[in-house]
Amino acid sequence: MKFFIDDLPFYPTKRKLIYCSRTVPEIEKALAELKRLMDYRKEHAETEEQREKEASFYGIGLTSRKNLCIHPEVSKEKKGKVVDARCRDLTNAAACQKGRENPGSVDLCDWHEELGKLEPGNLIPPGIWTLADVLQHGRDNRVCPYFLVRRMMPFVDVIIYSFHYLLDPKVAEQVSKEITKDAIVVFDEAHNIDNVCIESLSIDLTRPMLDSAARSVVRLGDKIDEIKKTDASKLQDEYMRLVEGLQEANDAEDAFVSNPVLPEDLLKEAIPGNIRKAEHFVAFLKRFVEYLKTRMRVLHVVAETPLSFLQHLKDITYIERRPLRFCAERLQSLVRTLEVNRVDELSSLQKVASFATLVATYEKGTLYPLAFVLSAPADWPAGFLLILEPYETEAATVPNPIFHLTCLDPAIAIKPVFERFSTVVITSGTLSPLDMYPKMLQFTPVVQETYAMSLTRNSFLPLVITRGSDQVAISSRFEVRNDPAVVRNFGSILIEYSKIVPDGIVAFFPSYLYMESIVAAWNDMGILNEVWKHKLIFVETPDANETSIALENYRRACDNGRGAVLLSVARGKVSEGIDFDHNYGRAVIMFGVPYQYTESRILKARLEYLRDAYRIRESEFLGFDAMRNAAQCVGRVLRGKTDWGLMVFADKRFARADKRAKLPRWINQYITETAANLSTDMALTLSKQFMRVISQNPNENQTGISLWTLADVEKAQAKQRELALEQEAERRAAAAKGVAANGEDDDDDEYGDGGLDDAALGALDLDV
Amino acid sequence: MPSTVCSAQASYKKLPGLLELTPSHLQWTKAGDKAPSVKVPHSEAASLSRSKVGAAQVRLKVGLVSDEAGHNFTFTSPQAVALAEREKFEAELTNIIAHNRTGTAAPPPGPTLAAATPVPGTPTSARPRPLGTSARPTPQLSRASTSRAPSVASDPRGTPVSDPAHDFRLRKKVLLSTPDLAQLHRELVMGGQISENEFWEGREHLLLAQAAAEGQKKGKPGQLVDPRPQSVDGEVKIVITPQLVHDIFEEFPVVARAYSDNVPEKLSEAEFWSRYFQSRLFNAHRASIRSSAAQHVVKDDPIFDKYLEKDDDDLEPRRLREERVDTFIDLGATSVDHDETGNEKDVTMQAGKQRAVLPLIRKFNEHSTRLLDTALGGPASKRRRTDNGEDRIAQLDLEDLHDNETSAGILLDMQDRQRYFDGRANSATDGAATGPHVAFREALQQTKASMAGWSSNLAQLKLDKKAADSALVGMTQNVASRLDVKMRKHDIPDGLFRQMTTCQTAANEFLRQFWLAIYPPPSESQTLAPATPAQKAAKAAKMVGYLGKTHEKVEALVRAAHQEGVDPARVKIAMKPVVDAVDKALEFWRAKNAKVLR
Repeated sequence: MKFFIDDLPFYPTKRKLIYCSRTVPEIEKALAELKRLMDYRKEHAETEEQREKEASFYGIGLTSRKNLCIHPEVSKEKKGKVVDARCRDLTNAAACQKGRENPGSVDLCDWHEELGKLEPGNLIPPGIWTLADVLQHGRDNRVCPYFLVRRMMPFVDVIIYSFHYLLDPKVAEQVSKEITKDAIVVFDEAHNIDNVCIESLSIDLTRPMLDSAARSVVRLGDKIDEIKKTDASKLQDEYMRLVEGLQEANDAEDAFVSNPVLPEDLLKEAIPGNIRKAEHFVAFLKRFVEYLKTRMRVLHVVAETPLSFLQHLKDITYIERRPLRFCAERLQSLVRTLEVNRVDELSSLQKVASFATLVATYEKGTLYPLAFVLSAPADWPAGFLLILEPYETEAATVPNPIFHLTCLDPAIAIKPVFERFSTVVITSGTLSPLDMYPKMLQFTPVVQETYAMSLTRNSFLPLVITRGSDQVAISSRFEVRNDPAVVRNFGSILIEYSKIVPDGIVAFFPSYLYMESIVAAWNDMGILNEVWKHKLIFVETPDANETSIALENYRRACDNGRGAVLLSVARGKVSEGIDFDHNYGRAVIMFGVPYQYTESRILKARLEYLRDAYRIRESEFLGFDAMRNAAQCVGRVLRGKTDWGLMVFADKRFARADKRAKLPRWINQYITETAANLSTDMALTLSKQFMRVISQNPNENQTGISLWTLADVEKAQAKQRELALEQEAERRAAAAKGVAANGEDDDDDEYGDGGLDDAALGALDLDV
Repeated sequence: MPSTVCSAQASYKKLPGLLELTPSHLQWTKAGDKAPSVKVPHSEAASLSRSKVGAAQVRLKVGLVSDEAGHNFTFTSPQAVALAEREKFEAELTNIIAHNRTGTAAPPPGPTLAAATPVPGTPTSARPRPLGTSARPTPQLSRASTSRAPSVASDPRGTPVSDPAHDFRLRKKVLLSTPDLAQLHRELVMGGQISENEFWEGREHLLLAQAAAEGQKKGKPGQLVDPRPQSVDGEVKIVITPQLVHDIFEEFPVVARAYSDNVPEKLSEAEFWSRYFQSRLFNAHRASIRSSAAQHVVKDDPIFDKYLEKDDDDLEPRRLREERVDTFIDLGATSVDHDETGNEKDVTMQAGKQRAVLPLIRKFNEHSTRLLDTALGGPASKRRRTDNGEDRIAQLDLEDLHDNETSAGILLDMQDRQRYFDGRANSATDGAATGPHVAFREALQQTKASMAGWSSNLAQLKLDKKAADSALVGMTQNVASRLDVKMRKHDIPDGLFRQMTTCQTAANEFLRQFWLAIYPPPSESQTLAPATPAQKAAKAAKMVGYLGKTHEKVEALVRAAHQEGVDPARVKIAMKPVVDAVDKALEFWRAKNAKVLR
């Protein structure tokens, strides 16, 4: 799946590749593969010149300070936020300046200081640096890996980081600002990209957060008073700066509260007068926090648009929309002026400020041009919604209010990416159905391709189990999921498969809640005791590190031959980014359809929005969402052509044709009619048969089917060229008739050579 | 037969008989029978439980690895004697089971040893003393088993069981597991026709397989230690057996600590256990979240509550481990990769909402890890430090993207290679001049010509009616006769049929021995002490003697068939292949001898 890199160095102008993936393990894997590729290319370069070019190729990956810190104390901190804050204290510009002028007066980070002494742009020898490599390099040369990567970013050819660094405006502003327009952006494993977009513009506020924010406001106030006495000129300077406008050159590296809104929505104007003075701003914040607190006292659910929220706010507190929009920026400026340490303690206040800015900026969802918004009917759906939920669950009696500001439209966050970069590639092994994505993200695909899997043998067997051996239908439908018969039948599937499948089995549940209750129920029913006889049992826990260790032990058990079962959750931590290839997963069992929790108000709002704005029916979206996650889970089992595995879908709803149609074609095509509606015992018979056949020696000749000789490739290319010519002719004809294909040719250059881009082929081929 | 370690009168399934413990098996022989009807190898014994003291019947139950239900024996001697007997059995079996649990099979007694000496007295200190609902468990027991561990560990390889192929015990096991072979063995070897060693010659693979199977180290069984109360006679009880105690100590070191702190100074053995099972500590150890239901029976216990730890039900585990896992599976790195954004997950997707389940889940993970560590000898982290680069690349490697590797082949080593190839080249060039120059065009034309008008020819093709009919009749008859055979299969009387089978298998065995003696051994590794040619010849001659009698035997069978009223021809047909094979062998033998004489 990482074969995009292959083509990159051929581009004459140095275009940067921004490769976004979901998880750190995947980033690391991509880097390691890139490294192998470049080693190979270096070794096989044709000319000396070429070799030099290959050798000067830079590739790095970026992740958080927490993952890259090697400071002996700071890196011990458990929370990423704390690491960030402490790192800022040690490395921000003001502190550095003070420390350098007057050594010993301020604690500085040695690693960061060492880095500063190096020549910019040449901080690290060329080559591909995986995260582990960069860390090691940092340790060896006593330089800070995090800032090394950050400062090298403008100079490298390939950057690999996670979606958030490009989609989340808070991060993107700091990290991705300097990247040029002609960079190629690849979103790999992008089947969940809409969720990332939505997340990056949504915020939750809770009561404890508000309390903490209020405390922070007081603390800021005290600090202002103190500074006034000691160094009043500082505040005065700031005030003057703000009067002149905010275009100060702020060093993005130590920005604390970055703006949560998208760049184009930023106002390029001076901060309004009523919050320019520090004490005024603090009073302003205090008022706003108090207002939010009052809102939270309400004991019934409230859903309102940002517009009505602002109106109410104005009526009660006379806070206008405009200053609210500058809240985040103003806070950042203040914090810097006051030189506050340990900014992690201000994180709640930061959230409140972001909340304020978001609400005020996207009162209507500014995706649409202003003229359109004004002329749109009054009931045109807003891209944002505010939901106040006083109780956590229906049954709860103690209020635990949460104020959700939720973004409903994924297109809002991704739009700047499409606008800024000319080539954006969205790819995944489980983008299905394909046409859903352009609809949701509001873009027009230039090239849209599905590539078939080329397998010489049916190396996986999808099975749909609809009923247990006792013929009771099984389903994770809410009404029946806790029915003992269903639970027992689910259990017997696990027992039977743990008997017959070698090495590893992974089982996915639709939600944490369900997994936890079913694990308890199975234990009491003695089902797990049966499983213990054949395999060890590992379970995903709420803590990520704990789960990693369980996962590692699971893999050891698979390597050792003892065999193990891993119970985990679809959409959970394990379902994304971890491969269960070869012996790590000989069978994946999907217990139930991984639907989202339909009672969730946020989901309801989103469904409504999708229906009103994009004409996507609720059931269609829910089904699509469930199936992409199911496919994602079962797809983990297969990697490469010599691998094999069973995919078991245990729910009677999987038998429905409309559900199955939403699975990616490479899975769906192997579900035979007989395998689409099985009872447990029938499925077991089929599985045994399959395993007997598949375990034979795979080393038959694959040439011509899934491996191509040069002749095959040339033949295929010739054919494609012909096809492209034909299409070109057709298009011209169409254009002559005046049916202009709008916006379709703006970034054709990438695929312009007409031949099938084998990078793309590789990208979709085995991306599982 | 091996001697017994102990024996007692006991009934099994309500039939009286004799229960014996031999160095390798626990066996029960029905009164009046010769062969034991229940025979349990030591390695199979997995658990032991017994009726409580004072019960009307003195019972002992042995659970098996493969079968939980196991066997139930009731000691039938008078009460006092029965108790003593049972204690003896219990002591021995406890040791055996402890062995099985530590992962090694009981030491296999050498073949000669088994025949003569009884196993030396096992430590009697490990005997549990009956006490109320609980048995005296035995710190000694754990000590006994640990102190024994080193010697056991060295056992499989340490004691050189000289040669698996000669191991009497192995042979017996193989015979026991394959009744057919046992049958043959009984006839030929016990019947004195061929010797024991001859019989096994050529069957070494069976013995080796058996030896390998036995040599395989058995891991610990995976189940959680979770004593569940059973209701006996209306009372809810937890039956404690010595192994249960052993397991509890191993699974929950804190209980072992409590035991060594408090027993016997502060608490007696029985008190300790009864209080433990009522304590909060036990409830915390139970693998169930229903313990809340039992909350009301739980009493405060000043002794055990000291050992109680807080429930491990926070989102973050109580015991945070600092070790970092491989980046490829490091989920934690992802969670701190960027600030949390977005709305909080809906209620079903928040992990750890049911806090009561978290300790259970953690217990599963810990238990699995512990099992794994005992099997692999140490936690993962140590290993991780050492290997790095290779392993990571291997994880990325896609096997199918490798080139097909062709082996280089073995160079043919021959004299004057150069000359040979020169010759070849010459002839090849010569051949090139003539060979491939077949006139393709002509050949093609000829073929074409011969094919001309094929369709009309085909149309003219007529089948002779008679021939078609006869073919059909032939097929029908074939089917009919097959059906016939199938239907009539079993009208040969049982006795005769068995005799026929016996005759056939015996003849086959003789043939096998014969050819084995004639031909060189297939591979040097399998056979032991290859026989000298003279021995071989002698053996072959002997076999020929046996084979020569086959005809007589078949004749006898035919006669017997006649008497029984079965068509003798059928018996003849049935035996014909064997007779043919025997004839062939005899002919071969005659020819060979003639050659030698000449």
